[in-house]
Amino acid sequence: MFGYLLRRVLATIPVMAIVALFVFSLLYIAPGDPAAVIAGDQASPEDVEKIRRSLGLDRPFLVRFTEWSLQVIRGDLGTSMFTGLPVTELIRQRLEPTVSLMVVTLFLAIGVAVPAGVIAAWQAGTWIDRLVMAFAVLGFSVPVFIVGYLLAYVFALQLDWLPVQGYTPIASGFWPWLENLILPAIALGFVFMALIARITRATMLEVLSQDYVRTARSKGVSEGNILFLHALKNAAVPIVTVVGIGVALLIGGAVVTESVFAIPGLGRLTIDAIVRRDYPLIQGIVLMFSFTYVLVNLAIDLIYTLLDPRIRY
Amino acid sequence: MDRRSFLKTFVSAGSLVATGGIPSPAISQGAAAKTLRFVPQANLANFDPVWGTQYVVRNASQLVWDTLYGLDSKLQPKRQMVESEEASSDGLTWTFKLRDGLKFHDGEKVLAKDVVASITRWTNRDSMGLMLKAIQKELVAVDDRTFRWVLSKPYPKITYAFAKVGTPCCFIMPERLAKTDPFKQIDEYIGSGPMRFVRADWKPGALAAFEKFKDYVPRNEPSEWWSGGKVMHVDRVEWVIMPDPATASAALQNGEIDWWETPIPDLVPLLKRNRNIKVDIADPLGNIGAFRLNHMHPPFNNAKARRAVQVALSQEDYMRAVVGSDTNLWKPIPSFFTPGTPLYSEEGGELLKGKRDYDLAKKLLQEAGYSGLPVTCLVAQDQAPLKAMGEITADLLKKIGMTVDFVATDWGTVGQRRASKSPPGQGGWGMFHTWHAGADCVNPASHIAVRASGDKAWFGWPDSPEVEKEVAAWYEAKSFDEEKATIARLNKAAMEHVVFIPTGFYYGFQAWRSNLDGITNGPLPWFWGVKKA
Repeated sequence: MFGYLLRRVLATIPVMAIVALFVFSLLYIAPGDPAAVIAGDQASPEDVEKIRRSLGLDRPFLVRFTEWSLQVIRGDLGTSMFTGLPVTELIRQRLEPTVSLMVVTLFLAIGVAVPAGVIAAWQAGTWIDRLVMAFAVLGFSVPVFIVGYLLAYVFALQLDWLPVQGYTPIASGFWPWLENLILPAIALGFVFMALIARITRATMLEVLSQDYVRTARSKGVSEGNILFLHALKNAAVPIVTVVGIGVALLIGGAVVTESVFAIPGLGRLTIDAIVRRDYPLIQGIVLMFSFTYVLVNLAIDLIYTLLDPRIRY
Repeated sequence: MDRRSFLKTFVSAGSLVATGGIPSPAISQGAAAKTLRFVPQANLANFDPVWGTQYVVRNASQLVWDTLYGLDSKLQPKRQMVESEEASSDGLTWTFKLRDGLKFHDGEKVLAKDVVASITRWTNRDSMGLMLKAIQKELVAVDDRTFRWVLSKPYPKITYAFAKVGTPCCFIMPERLAKTDPFKQIDEYIGSGPMRFVRADWKPGALAAFEKFKDYVPRNEPSEWWSGGKVMHVDRVEWVIMPDPATASAALQNGEIDWWETPIPDLVPLLKRNRNIKVDIADPLGNIGAFRLNHMHPPFNNAKARRAVQVALSQEDYMRAVVGSDTNLWKPIPSFFTPGTPLYSEEGGELLKGKRDYDLAKKLLQEAGYSGLPVTCLVAQDQAPLKAMGEITADLLKKIGMTVDFVATDWGTVGQRRASKSPPGQGGWGMFHTWHAGADCVNPASHIAVRASGDKAWFGWPDSPEVEKEVAAWYEAKSFDEEKATIARLNKAAMEHVVFIPTGFYYGFQAWRSNLDGITNGPLPWFWGVKKA
């Protein structure tokens, strides 16, 4: 297992290198000019050129890429062209809100969707099944921002139960932290719940038709135990796979959700960086997201071994 | 107890157990009243008002850095950090004395050497500053409170240059910061203004915070725009960045923010219906929409092709697309200058008035030898006014028989591509839209878009010696009447040359909670004098 882990961690290095080269090249050829954005509308073309030079944007591709790569190897993601702050500091400032949003969303999505999928499979063909599946279709069909605006309108503006926007660090208290995350997590988790519920239902239907379930029933094992102890454990591998894929979905969805609920997270940081063409920041964020995704995949692979003893690395 | 407080109490009781009793901060009502939460027009992504000339940077900088002079609502420069000034009889030597008691936020006194260094940095980036630098013989600190500027040519607008709101403004910094290369960013934010920047709380894209500077000594006069006594009635100002207008609108309605700088017109009726919210015109100087043509390449290197668009362009169509049907919010302007300001002139503006003439436009295009060359229109889709204007333009150009190459892109790309002098088919462009803040269009000092100095002019590079002659004459004008006559001639010359085509004048809104008092209209959001109940 340790050897496997080491191999997987080492395998991330070429993946990260390819991602780095790809992102750097893409940004190099993409239109847009950070110098023009910095200089503002009133600046003369000469001023824009001077700023471009001062940012080192006039240097050849290879020189810039080599310099940046060496920096990254030293653990330095560079400095944001606009704020003048280190990219690592900017990412650190935004990490907590995004991680919090994802954790609450995951808890909510798994906590609602897995039981819903299990019950739908158990009650296949009944109105409960149809209700769960209708909810799943709705979750897939309605964009995150629509759900977000509706939730904010009803629960913040009309009922005044929760705040419209913002983020409070967990250090300021659990409820202040949570109350800012409930609506965004529901909005972001909506599509995720739909996905997990559908997969859970489909996998459970397959498992529930197997012989050992029939045997368990004939032995008089309660339905609850059959569903949640026997069947769900065997259906868990595909569900965990979907949860892993869903983390990537969450990263994408966080961009929209954080904008709708004004949460100062990494999603908004990404958008701001792209709009301004803040190259070092974009590169830093993409690298971090790629690394996170590689780690999530690794974690999912390790969870498989816990769920299914037949899987060994 | 309202429902939210009930929920808070209920959930907190349970969560205290779960978190081991981490308490939430107790913010008293008094403390909340001392914090003003403001949603600015854009993100404060950098904080150097000379290096980055965006309006949002200037608006934040006015809190932290003071200026030598400040403009009042009549656009007249008034003393601010300066106590007195004296000009020699030939107008070549200016001696300025600073007010006593001026201090930087680090406790150091503001000295004349700080002012000299700040002016020097500013003169490398500002259009008026560059003119002053070109005629500068000597700029020195005479003593701790006095500095002298010796010029080789009189420059009557010197105090206006120190006071103007157009970016970059002449903010005064400590010498060690002001010595930074003007094309590099400062990394300390020490000023002598009424608020100090809380660097530790700055999260670009999310929050910027300012705290009252206890040692600031306001002038003993009522404040008026950027002039007079800058008395702060709140202890802390928080700039909360909200990119989504619907969220900002909901947050204002819910009382989570106090003041929103730029509500979009679509949401204004909703805000006006809320009795806890006040809505008003933000800036009486408004904005001027612009159809910017590339004078360097066909078809618009030909004056008749430019005129063809000018005679067919309906400002009403543009303004309805940008602002809507409320005619209190926009008007056509046959001028390059801001209506309602002292120098405003419509001389030569008849070209933009009356029925729009498509037949004449087609005839002019024929005379210009236009043969269907595509006009590359750069249209920023991420800026609502520019997107709206771009769509009207595409329709207009097609109506007069031009071929349109509609490049739907983002503002960042427009910003880069408009600097290209290549022909449109090779990475260049034919036209783009932008808008100019009315505060910048009150005279030629900050209205760089009206300049026509060819290769050195703003994007589009119009070249008209007649226009430039009048600009030079304005700088040298010695009386108001002389200035007014110059601007009239300048407007006429620029209209005839079609330097660019104004697409109309329009206002923007601001909205605030009714427990705020003292909010005024102006080209910037002024925070002094604002009280929160």
